Amino acid sequence: MTKSPAKTIEIKLERTIAAPPLEVHDAWLDPKVPGNPWHEADKLLLTPKVDGFFYWLIQGTAHYGRFTHVERPGRIQHTWVSPNTLGEESMVTVTFDKQGSGTLMTLVHSGLPDNDKGKGHEGGWNYFLGNFTKQYEGASAQR
Amino acid sequence: MDQLTNVLTAISHPSRRAIIKQLAKGPARFLDVADRFDTSLNATTKHLKLLERAGLIEREKQGREVIISFRPEPLQAVAGWVHPYEQFWNTRLDQFEQHFKPNKRKKEKK
Repeated sequence: MTKSPAKTIEIKLERTIAAPPLEVHDAWLDPKVPGNPWHEADKLLLTPKVDGFFYWLIQGTAHYGRFTHVERPGRIQHTWVSPNTLGEESMVTVTFDKQGSGTLMTLVHSGLPDNDKGKGHEGGWNYFLGNFTKQYEGASAQR
Repeated sequence: MDQLTNVLTAISHPSRRAIIKQLAKGPARFLDVADRFDTSLNATTKHLKLLERAGLIEREKQGREVIISFRPEPLQAVAGWVHPYEQFWNTRLDQFEQHFKPNKRKKEKK
C-alpha cells in the first residue's frame, strides 16, 4: 500500500537589505546577528557547509537540519525539522540577489505541514514568538 | 461555527470594528455605543450580539445600566490563523533587515 503524500504548503518572504549580497550572506550564517535562525539559542551547533548539520535549541524546542546547498553569496539551503513540522523534513532556501547597492533577500520555506495536527502547534508557537519578540524589544530598549 | 469563524465574522463589518475601537478605550454603556452610530438601536443590538458570540465583548448589568467591555483575547485566534512559520520568519527577517539600516549601523560603530 502506498502512502499518500501529505498536504504541504510553502511560505515565501522577501526583504530588501541595505548591504551587498556577500555581507548579507555571511551575516545570515553569523549567530551574533539578530534575525537569523541561529541568533538567541539555548544551545547551538552549526556547521554551515554542504552536508553540515545544525542543532538549535530555543526555549525547550529543538530544531535540526542539514545544509544541502551553500553558495557564497547567492544561496543557502538546508532542511528544517522541528515539532512544528511534525518531525517531517521541510526545506528552507534563502537567496541573495544584488539589487542596486543592496540585496534582495528571498526566503522560501517549503514542505510545511498544512493539516489540523500541524495547526495544533500554533498556540504554543505564537506564545513563544510573542515572548521572543518582547525579549528582543526589551534588549533593544536597553541598548 | 468555530471561534475563528465567529471572530472573523465579527470583525468583518466596519461598524463592529468601530465598536471594538471605541470599547478598546474603555467600557461603555449600551446607549453610549449606540449613540455613535447612525443606525437603529436594533441594528446596534445585532452588532453587539455578533461581537458577544465571538467572545470579543462582555456585558455586565450594573443597576439599570448594561456596561459593555472589550475582550481582546479572541483576536489571537486570527493571528494564529496565519501559519506559525510565516510569523516566525517575518519576525526574524524584520530584525535582520533592521540590523542593516544605516542609522542603526552608525550607532553600533560608535
